Amino acid sequence: MSTRIIAKPVGPIRRGIADSLPLFIPAIPFTLVFGIVVRDVGVAAWLGWSSSPIIFGGAAQITLLTLLGEGASVVAASTAALIVGARHLLYSVTLAPRFQDQPAWFRWVGSYMLIDQVFALTAVDRQEDPKVFRHYYLAAGTTFWCLWMTFTALGIVLGPKIPSHWQLSFAAPALFMGLLAVTIDRWQKAAVAISAMAFTGLLADLPNRSGLLIGALLAIGLGIILERVRR
Amino acid sequence: MVLLAIVLTGIGTYALRAVFVVTLSRQRFPVLALRALEYVAPAVMGALVISMLTSSEGQVALGIPELAGLAVAALVAARTRNHIYALAGALGAYWLLGYAGL
Repeated sequence: MSTRIIAKPVGPIRRGIADSLPLFIPAIPFTLVFGIVVRDVGVAAWLGWSSSPIIFGGAAQITLLTLLGEGASVVAASTAALIVGARHLLYSVTLAPRFQDQPAWFRWVGSYMLIDQVFALTAVDRQEDPKVFRHYYLAAGTTFWCLWMTFTALGIVLGPKIPSHWQLSFAAPALFMGLLAVTIDRWQKAAVAISAMAFTGLLADLPNRSGLLIGALLAIGLGIILERVRR
Repeated sequence: MVLLAIVLTGIGTYALRAVFVVTLSRQRFPVLALRALEYVAPAVMGALVISMLTSSEGQVALGIPELAGLAVAALVAARTRNHIYALAGALGAYWLLGYAGL
């Protein structure tokens, strides 16, 4: 009697969990840098960690806490963190058609889980059943949520254990430089990034870290001009 | 104050994610706005890198170790798309040149 192993069709929930795990690995350096930032800012651990469930976005959390620690005002730091998170608007536009046939509760809950990785996993339209999409999306989102809550807590615990002479404060700008590099797919974007760095450096002694926002906005303006020229 | 900033950023981030998903707005997003949005990430990340290297007195600490560390981070991330490698390489270059007294 020959035995043939027939692969059982994997349900959307298990598929959502399995697809999420490898995608979480690149997020691990964020959790360590996050822990170091919370220590450097000098806020209570629970307060720093509360940004994980409230914001649920690593780059925005690190930006916000770093700038507050450097003496930025609440409005300046929050604005900068939201500009860092502006890409979520693009995700929302892109995924909106997939939520057309979904119940209202899922549109509200799904929005909260619309992070980079969940977008990357669900942006490809597989023409699947709305229920399958919903289960897959919720499974992936919940997996990332649990991992992010756990690992940011670990980062806060482990971050302060790292000796300060290791000068890990350089980790935050280094991580963002890496994030910047992967967004560059044409020379116009490189020019915008370099000019943003130059503008921000020139405006570094403006109060409340406003040089950051002015420098970024000037560079985005340059980007729009370059885009007009390109087309 | 920190909690206020976290809550404000949390509400704002949720709004950015929810606006089209919840409203199901069929309105077309202006093309120029989509184009501008593509430049937001490089501009803000660039500004942030410099801001993170700025002391509270407004001095930008950008010596040879920092420049080398940032260059390594950018090159490794662009090549490998792996932020763990990029971070490790950047910190390695930064420490090495720092200890060398540059």
